[in-house]
Amino acid sequence: MLIDPILGASHKRRPAAVLNHYAKWKYLVLIVTLIIMALSALPTWFGEDSAIQIPASAGLRLDSQAIATTLQQHQIALKRLDASAQKTLVVLDDPQQQTKAKAVLAGYAASPDKLALALTPAAPSWLLNLGFSPIKLGLDLRGGVQFLLDVDVMPVYQQQGEALTNGLQEFLRSKHLPAVTVRTLNDASLQLNVTADTSSAIRSFLTAQYPQWQVRHDGEQLLLQLIAKEQDNLRNETVQQNLQIMRSRIEELGITEALVQRQGENRIRIELPGVQDPAAAKDVIGATATLAFYEVSPRSVGTLSLPDNQGRRVNVTKQPVITGAHILDARSGAGEMGQAEVNITLDAVGGKQMTAFSKSHLGKPMATAFSEYARDAEGKLTQRTKVISVATIQSVLPERFRITGVGSHQDAQQLALLLRAGSMTAPVTIVEERTIGPSLGAENIHNGFAALALGMAVTLLFMALWYRRLGWVANVALLANMVLLFGLMALIPGAVLTLPGIAGLVLTVGMAVDTNVLIFERIRDKLAEGRSLAHAIDRGFDSAFSTIFDANFTTMITAVVLYSIGNGPIRGFALTLGLGLLTSMFTGIFASRAIINLAYGRNFSRDVRI
Amino acid sequence: MKLSFSNSWRYACSGISVVLMVLSIAIIGWKGLNLGLDFTGGVVSEIRIDKQISATEMRPLLQQAYGSDVSLIAADEPGRWVLRYPAAAGDTTPPSLAQILSPLNTSLEVLNTSIVGPQVGAELAEQGALALLVAVICILGYLSFRFEWRLASGALFALVHDVIFVIAFFALTQMEFNLTVLAAVLAILGYSLNDSIIIADRIRELLIAKPQTPVAEVNNAAIVATFSRTMVTSGTTLMTVAALWLMGGEPLQGFSIAMFIGILTGTFSSISVGTSLPEWLGLTSEHYRPKALPETP
Repeated sequence: MLIDPILGASHKRRPAAVLNHYAKWKYLVLIVTLIIMALSALPTWFGEDSAIQIPASAGLRLDSQAIATTLQQHQIALKRLDASAQKTLVVLDDPQQQTKAKAVLAGYAASPDKLALALTPAAPSWLLNLGFSPIKLGLDLRGGVQFLLDVDVMPVYQQQGEALTNGLQEFLRSKHLPAVTVRTLNDASLQLNVTADTSSAIRSFLTAQYPQWQVRHDGEQLLLQLIAKEQDNLRNETVQQNLQIMRSRIEELGITEALVQRQGENRIRIELPGVQDPAAAKDVIGATATLAFYEVSPRSVGTLSLPDNQGRRVNVTKQPVITGAHILDARSGAGEMGQAEVNITLDAVGGKQMTAFSKSHLGKPMATAFSEYARDAEGKLTQRTKVISVATIQSVLPERFRITGVGSHQDAQQLALLLRAGSMTAPVTIVEERTIGPSLGAENIHNGFAALALGMAVTLLFMALWYRRLGWVANVALLANMVLLFGLMALIPGAVLTLPGIAGLVLTVGMAVDTNVLIFERIRDKLAEGRSLAHAIDRGFDSAFSTIFDANFTTMITAVVLYSIGNGPIRGFALTLGLGLLTSMFTGIFASRAIINLAYGRNFSRDVRI
Repeated sequence: MKLSFSNSWRYACSGISVVLMVLSIAIIGWKGLNLGLDFTGGVVSEIRIDKQISATEMRPLLQQAYGSDVSLIAADEPGRWVLRYPAAAGDTTPPSLAQILSPLNTSLEVLNTSIVGPQVGAELAEQGALALLVAVICILGYLSFRFEWRLASGALFALVHDVIFVIAFFALTQMEFNLTVLAAVLAILGYSLNDSIIIADRIRELLIAKPQTPVAEVNNAAIVATFSRTMVTSGTTLMTVAALWLMGGEPLQGFSIAMFIGILTGTFSSISVGTSLPEWLGLTSEHYRPKALPETP
């Protein structure tokens, strides 16, 4: 009989002394986590102010005092002015006046394009100095313009095909073999009609020189296709190059918070918060183009007639001398006399072609034509070509040469950028465009948070009434959950709060209490079975855990799927939903247990009602 | 809270669920979905103009500029309108709204504009369907790993039931089915399972604890045991979604309505078909009895 209680105790493996007890370090972890997250969530509470950022290099002719009075004259309310040696930050009271304020101040700047629209956290500086920042808001909450660009890589593949064709024909000529006809198919693969005696020579040439092409033999024909890995490489390079170009172009627009991001295989997403006029942004982004140098022809028959900037027609030969694909680099610079010029570097093949052409066309004009692509109603690409400059060839041009007489330094910069972009033959088109007015963004924030507040209030009230004695624990856990969620959203780099994201927050509020509800219901069951409160708590938490885990896991699956497949706003929803599940598990199980242990952990009475 | 739950009640509810599901499928087939801009491509603009201007004044001007496919819907605030028309052909930029509406002498504020290319729309639709499929497959995998297949099939059937019912609601009312609504449908996927799993968990627990009890009784007991929890959680979630519906404004309307219906049917289906189907498929406590290890490894 003496043995019995000992066996019982060892079977439980938990002496009664440590029932409902959390070690001190657990409380420490909990409290430190909550404090850090609260600090991290705080800046979001203060929000962000619209500002104009003026770097010293903009050469503004106004000092701080003058800026204030100038803005006052234009009825623009100023909130704050941070001036440092490198830059001045003009913080505005009304975000709606941001564009206007920029326009006003730009009038006093030596280089107006250096002025940038910016957002600056409104939180006190000690908080920001700790390294905390507000949650990033999505465009649907902030207002702005969003573009989705499609990079068409097919021309890049075709260009590879052309290079191969040229190389092959040259090889055949050098070996005195008959030329073969090459057909380019729609998917950028090549079809060669070969005869039996040339076939093997061609094939060994191709394997030696063009290993990135896969050769298939099909009767009298050879089918050539870029191997998948090479296609991926080319596509990646092209999209990366486009991303780079877009970034540098958008820098010129003067938006500090702009986002340029690759989406999927060959898409680029551009988000320009604060921009209200998509047209200006579109001009800069949509200018993606290709470029070619043409011989200007005096005849009008058998030539291309292209318009120039003034709308005059310029007749050029059908075949370009070289295409932009051969441009390795283009930089604007100042010549000996200080005039603007563009320095161009060609690749070896292009350089050879250019040298040969300029030798035979000294003193004759050469046109630089610039082509833009646009998609028509059927989604087909159409090309518009324009002559941007006609220059006379002064001397034999080597691989490196310069174009002068291109206008101002700014024009030269623009041309250099276009030339660099022109070296990319992949046409880029805008396939999606969304503009959200700033007032609508503010309205969305207001509505979203009103819904969150109401949802919170109703849930807190309900829980307090329904589970009286334990309800306050659930409510503290829910509040802690919100603090953690906001704190995490602000901490995670790349996390963006969108309107569906707020919906996810509201949904989280409703679902987060589920964890507590499950535990409390189990505790009620155990109490009904006649256990004391302390034991019911212990058993209740244990038995509810696997259910909680199962239930949350499936929602987690959908959140992860949504996050990985969805885009923009939907991602925001998936993020708050998924993070909300994690934080609700943390607060619902860990935090509320910590509280309950302190409050009721030693309560062994059997006639408690909860 | 003591509840008696009889078999006939549960079977009747299951019957209703099945009838509703058949009806829903018929409605989806008959009406089809009013797909939003996200999936079809085109242009949607939201504008605010002077309150006294009516649709009949605006429509001819808009049709002249954008073609006959313009749809003009009044938003809930007077003077606020949503325009929808197909994307302009090629690089011809259509005249701005300010120009088009200038004969009406009105103030004009463009609140937002979305232009989605037809190609992107098709892709988004494809992606959405893929997301739905992937989510269902992942959940299936998890369920079959965690529960016995009969029990899992009940949860799965309840889930399909909920999703179809929500989609049918959107087909019937012809409310716009856009990306946010799709997100709601996916969230319902997770949520509906939530309820089913909690009941299934209890069923499993009871089957292991009391192997002698008939399955129908176990099911009833499990429903009763979890009923209070089901009601509280569904209740709080419904309340917050209702808050979203009331205060969230136009852009979240579709989302909150879808969630609201999804939670209602999710709760209902987890109690009705979610438990009855495993019973019909012949679930017994045998399936949860620890198996003897095979004698040969």
